[in-house]
Amino acid sequence: MPGQAKLSHTAAMILHAIGAGCVYGLSVMEMTGLPSGTVYPALRRLERDGLIRSQWERQSIADAEQRPARKYYKLTRSGQTTLEASQKRYPLLAKLIGASKGERP
Amino acid sequence: MITFLQHALLRWAALLVPDRERAEWLAEWRSELWYAGQARGTARATAFCLGAYQDAFWLRRNASRRPIREIVNLNSPARCLGFLMVLAAASLVVGYQIPNPPPIPARPSGDLFLGIVILAFVVLLPISSSVSLGDYHANRHMPSRSTRLRRWVFLALKIALILLMTYAPMRYVAYAMNADPHSNSAGLIIQLLVWGMPFALRWSLADQRQRCPVCLRMLANPVRVGEPAGYFLEWNCTELMCLRGHGMLYVPECHTSWFDTPRWFYMESY
Repeated sequence: MPGQAKLSHTAAMILHAIGAGCVYGLSVMEMTGLPSGTVYPALRRLERDGLIRSQWERQSIADAEQRPARKYYKLTRSGQTTLEASQKRYPLLAKLIGASKGERP
Repeated sequence: MITFLQHALLRWAALLVPDRERAEWLAEWRSELWYAGQARGTARATAFCLGAYQDAFWLRRNASRRPIREIVNLNSPARCLGFLMVLAAASLVVGYQIPNPPPIPARPSGDLFLGIVILAFVVLLPISSSVSLGDYHANRHMPSRSTRLRRWVFLALKIALILLMTYAPMRYVAYAMNADPHSNSAGLIIQLLVWGMPFALRWSLADQRQRCPVCLRMLANPVRVGEPAGYFLEWNCTELMCLRGHGMLYVPECHTSWFDTPRWFYMESY
């Protein structure tokens, strides 16, 4: 598809993790097994490329649960399209992420 | 709970992040660190903090095209010493936070430090860089003895502050080696010091060469003079000048027996 972002294996893995419901950096790290120094810069890059968007949780919700507010990441429409394309390019990723997701308590 | 070390690691990394993004960046990392501490324990949460540096570097590299010398403006000698003092003070503050090593078995961290300094000065620095500060011809335009002394004091202060910066790492090495003689982290820090110190000393010499010997400010306006084909007949060098008009520095493009170190000319002396 013309103009579509080409992703590295790592970026595709992170995009898959977000698509699979890991909506913040730490959960992406847990699912992919990648270190923080890889995951967070990759999240910035994906956000800059418009494949994901971030949003802060409402402070009142975090305060009610006595924890810090978190920054959540969501796939954009363009990110969804890229994710589907990357599933064709890296067919084993979906299985990998699916397996990791299954292992989570 | 966020420990002092984790807090300090994030604060230092935040210095790399562009101003307009710093507050949000720090808020996200602190929040994630809190959750990492809950889920993984203190040690792994500290390792988690180290990723903040890669993240901050990425933001810095992609947000700004300004060279680092512009961001940390070290043109004036006072700024340069101030910058080094801040780093040395940070090292002292962090060093004091590290608990004292247990008294038995005592390990000679002072000897180790001396060994690293000697290795850096005597072996690694001369093989990795020229230790010459350049060629400063004596003539009637030469500055007074006190001005020349000021230049050496400036160099000595830079080197002293660089050595002071090793306080926190050396204190950690002493602590880690006494706590666990087979500590990997102590070995890693010793290696970082052995390889990092010659680079720091090399920087101090390179910085000194690029400063005016009179006002100690950085030289500016580099201009290429000559061409390699005419090396035997004319200058082939880069010319830098002191913006206050004290003189010019000629840095050879190729090192030869007659022109192997940067050569300074006091203004109106040639």
